[in-house]
Amino acid sequence: MFLKLSFPSLLHSTHVCLSCFIFLCCRLCSVRTVSWIYLSLSLLLLFLPDLGSDAPPVTISVASDLHVGGVILKLVEKTQIKRDWSDHALWWEQKQQWLLRTAWTLEKYGIHADARLLFMPQHKPLKLGLPNGITLRLRASFSCPVFQTVMGICRMLNIRHPEELSLLRPVEEKKKKKDKDLAEEIYDLTEVPLSSGTLMSRPCLYNGMPAHFVDSPQMEAIYKMLSVTQPPPAPEVIAKQYRPASVVDKAHINGRWLDSSRCLMQQGIQENDRLWLRFKYAAFYDIEPKYDVVRLTQLYEQARWAILLEDVDCTEEEMMLFGALQYHISKVAQSEPQMLSTNAAMDDLESALMSLEVKMEGENSSASEFNVIVCFRPKRLTLKGYKQYWFKFQDTSISYFKSKEESIGEPIQQINLRGCEVAPDVNVASQKFLIRLLIPAPEGMNEVYLRCENEQQYAQWMAACRLASKGKSLADSSFQSEIQSIRSFLAMQKTNSHGNAPAGDESINTHSLVSPRYHKKYKPKQLTPRILDAYQNVAQLSLTDALMRFLQIWQALPDFGLSYVVVRFKGSRKDEVLGIAPNRLIRIDLGVGDVVKTWRYNNMKQWNVNWDIRQMAIEFDGNVNIAFSCVTADCKIVHEFIGGYIFMSTRSREKSDTLNEELFHKLTGGHEAL
Amino acid sequence: MDQVSDEEVEVREEEEEEEEDSDKEDQDLDKMFGAWLGELDKLTQSLDDGRPEPPPQQKAPLRQETNMANFSYRFSIYNINEALNQGDNVDLDALMADLCSIEQELSTINTKPNSSSSGLARFLLNCHIQSIRQQINSLPLSLSLLKHSYLDRETSLILRNIAGKPSHLLTKEEQAAKLKAENIRVALEKIKEAQVKKLVIRVHLSDESSKTMMVDERQTVRQVLDSLLEKSHCGYSADWSLVETINELQMERIFEDHENLVENLLNWTRDSQNRLMFTERIEKYALFKNPQNYLLGRKETCEMAERNKEALLEECFGGSSVSVPEMEGVLWLKEDGKKSWKKRYFLLRASGIYYVPKGKAKASRDLVCFLQLDHVNVYLGQDYKSKYKAPTDYCMVLKHPQIQKKSQYIKYLCCDDIRTLQQWINSIRITKYGKQLYTNFQEAMRRSEAAYDWSSLSSSSIKSGSSSSSLPESQSNHSSQSDSGVSEMTSSGHTRSQSVVSSIFSDAWRRGTQGEVRTHKNTQSFPVSSLCSCGLHFPCFPSVNLI
Repeated sequence: MFLKLSFPSLLHSTHVCLSCFIFLCCRLCSVRTVSWIYLSLSLLLLFLPDLGSDAPPVTISVASDLHVGGVILKLVEKTQIKRDWSDHALWWEQKQQWLLRTAWTLEKYGIHADARLLFMPQHKPLKLGLPNGITLRLRASFSCPVFQTVMGICRMLNIRHPEELSLLRPVEEKKKKKDKDLAEEIYDLTEVPLSSGTLMSRPCLYNGMPAHFVDSPQMEAIYKMLSVTQPPPAPEVIAKQYRPASVVDKAHINGRWLDSSRCLMQQGIQENDRLWLRFKYAAFYDIEPKYDVVRLTQLYEQARWAILLEDVDCTEEEMMLFGALQYHISKVAQSEPQMLSTNAAMDDLESALMSLEVKMEGENSSASEFNVIVCFRPKRLTLKGYKQYWFKFQDTSISYFKSKEESIGEPIQQINLRGCEVAPDVNVASQKFLIRLLIPAPEGMNEVYLRCENEQQYAQWMAACRLASKGKSLADSSFQSEIQSIRSFLAMQKTNSHGNAPAGDESINTHSLVSPRYHKKYKPKQLTPRILDAYQNVAQLSLTDALMRFLQIWQALPDFGLSYVVVRFKGSRKDEVLGIAPNRLIRIDLGVGDVVKTWRYNNMKQWNVNWDIRQMAIEFDGNVNIAFSCVTADCKIVHEFIGGYIFMSTRSREKSDTLNEELFHKLTGGHEAL
Repeated sequence: MDQVSDEEVEVREEEEEEEEDSDKEDQDLDKMFGAWLGELDKLTQSLDDGRPEPPPQQKAPLRQETNMANFSYRFSIYNINEALNQGDNVDLDALMADLCSIEQELSTINTKPNSSSSGLARFLLNCHIQSIRQQINSLPLSLSLLKHSYLDRETSLILRNIAGKPSHLLTKEEQAAKLKAENIRVALEKIKEAQVKKLVIRVHLSDESSKTMMVDERQTVRQVLDSLLEKSHCGYSADWSLVETINELQMERIFEDHENLVENLLNWTRDSQNRLMFTERIEKYALFKNPQNYLLGRKETCEMAERNKEALLEECFGGSSVSVPEMEGVLWLKEDGKKSWKKRYFLLRASGIYYVPKGKAKASRDLVCFLQLDHVNVYLGQDYKSKYKAPTDYCMVLKHPQIQKKSQYIKYLCCDDIRTLQQWINSIRITKYGKQLYTNFQEAMRRSEAAYDWSSLSSSSIKSGSSSSSLPESQSNHSSQSDSGVSEMTSSGHTRSQSVVSSIFSDAWRRGTQGEVRTHKNTQSFPVSSLCSCGLHFPCFPSVNLI
């Protein structure tokens, strides 16, 4: 009976020692007469990866009652190499199992002589694709359940609530030949020491970053990359990405989730393999911008890509709003490198003073008046076009006069813009600068168009109108920034009309902000006014607020958070789709695409998994039972989704810092875990 | 300042109007005026010790100062003058002192011609730091000086630095800055207090009587409701609502508890026929009493265990974002300017109401936006069958709150039945107000429970609302309603007993609930939970037993 121990990368060198191996075997057999007992004596072949690939194996002999720790100790002694072996452990290749319990004897593990054991580090480098599209190289645990591996990764990256994330096998990219030279940049985090800290303890932050990111400028750069949103991708990049075309395509992606209760090694993941880190459960708990910089950023990136790749369907209006928010976020993120921790009380005071200032300046009307000639026409009164008047902006109203000379007297009309809708109608190429005002009045909405002569004038008047519609006067501090944002947006339209936009910071191709469907539907310059229209409502948001707004709108989409799996319901003859949402299950008819039935977790009594026939049965209140087998994903994945969502709903605010890992495994673990 | 004085005038006008209108309500009014005059007294008290006229010669010396000084002070002088002209709530003594000190400062500056202009500016600021505390201590103070304190960068920098430091670690300077900030805060509070608009309103009760009361512009509907309830001694229930009725357009809307009443009332035109009603409306919070009928997108009403209701509400409103109920279906849309109604398939999304264009599928990307909800409110249309030839009387209206007359910008939608109508209206409310709505409800319930704490007898009736039949109170309501049919239930006498008050229902209440009540009775005969009955009707569904 023999026990082989080897290192995985050195299999080819086994033949070298085969002779000695056989020799030893014979010798052992002659010595021990009792061959019956499992592993009465073993012979260990040890390969040391650190000494190079052709290092000879090390052999040791052990008895079956020796515990695993003893084996390792012998092993290390034999090698005579002094180094830190603390991360190494034995991996039983045939059984796909780590021998992590050092107190267990070989016998207890049931290791036969023909077992093939490898002695290797538990933490190995892994290429990790983040939601923002960037790849990190970091050391992750290959020996503990994926759930814990993700916890470790999240601790390293400073992402709270790791239970919401998981690892996904990436979609194979069709490598074109010409893409090969575009070597992807990989950020290396393998030097980060492995923390063995307590679970979920909030890491100490230095300068807003976990300690290991403060070490060097390179590390700080990586942290910045993690915590600051990426600039909008080039339209070609969006077009090139894999887009699921149907519900079935989306269902296939969900078949790629790793099993949370088994380790990476058990799932065939090798050193340096590529995996994606993604938010898996659409139940984002307790987002606190102060602590969740990385989490919020990555969540936004995942949401943004979900929108751009039409993973979640939305209407055109919603798409434009998403586009506007992306534009705003990318702009603010560039100008606002670090979030300032401001004192809330101070802010209060300042805003109070600010409003006081505004009020006073508003009262002092002559100070905020500015005169520009603008043409004006109430819609539908004349088809001819615009008539020129002298316009004056006062507080939140505009008044107009026949000429400048008459502007001292009574205006022809005064219009208060408070509460009105302001919409742009701009075409830079044809020098059309229109402001459309919809002013509510008891009789209905008055539609008024203001025509400006040039960009400069337009930006000023547009900004003034927008502020006025919110009840702010020109004296408001945001006036200049408003003008600035309008002008930068116009600049965008200008660069777009000149063919390919240079990749400057000011110019963003509007095609970068919407899904490829709209690339075909609209030209960039057609998109600009539409996005601009939506932009005016979000232009004043801070970075955090804008990110939160983006997530909110994303979460409010009807299809948000639905993970699809193609299933075959018991008794049904055709494939159907099961949608798993944070609060319910839905059954979708593949032919029509309609939701046929909804079941809510609230009414769920229990669910059972038959691991033999890979079937799930769920029981709801009132004797509603459903059973199905899964087609595009393993039933463990479906089971984990449902159990995971139940787990997510058990989290309560009081103990938000401790993660009940045991409960998670209870709810999501399969029979292997038990 | 102009604005403020305008308001003043407006309030007085209101008051006069009310005087003409409500002679029958003399008693109420007298009390009202007593209170109101008291407030006015308080407002004007600060003027008593001030001088009646601003001293004009104060302007002259200042004007002679250097350009720099002129520049930095023009604004404040202007404001002071404005304030003085208005003669309201400004302590003239303090102002005078201030002006004198400014004058002094400036003259000392002038004696040092070498100082650079930036140095001068800083000096001016410093002067202000010193003088500002003086100002603050003498309240009410002039607005202009406060503004200058805001410009004082140094102080705010200090404040920023000390944010979060424990107080014993602060230096003297920092403590002074902190104290100053505190003082400014207090000052701001007082200024706010002094400038509050007040409006005299008239509230109609369902028994055709009316009450007059004064509201200030900061009051929410909830606060007004509370004071009304206190005065009227009617039973406390979360269903009491303030309802805006627009007679000209035959529509009405229940004000949400968090809304600002004055803001809404200022949308009315001067000669408006609109009314503000104070009645009990069970549809106001029916959504939370029977959430299963509104949040699950189901076609039929059903019962649900109390525990599940709470879970459902928590699920919908407890998260970080509110999920919009899945609301879609065929509605009638009134065509612009015509009396014809067209069928369309409408869908509600968080971003607005959409419809499916002809010949298209229901895919999100093909939907056409009907309207966005930011600027519109949802109203209940009344009697549109005869007014607009609507297919049914279950109509809702979407319009900007400022629109008060017929307009193409008002959108009319008609539902096939009362259930659909209520579902749509409530879903739109959820979309518009989100979590706020639930907070309102919880607040209302908390208050009503507190009000009933002393009596265990009636406490259960609050929770019941419309929902369950187990409660004698609501049952009696139902029966009295069916007994009396459509006849007006005006109890002209001021009997304050709870049962009578709670049996006063408005038209909309009756129409709003009849459907609901009936369906409740239907489902009650099946004592099974909601989902169960659905599942049983589901045709091709295998149960585990069959496996």
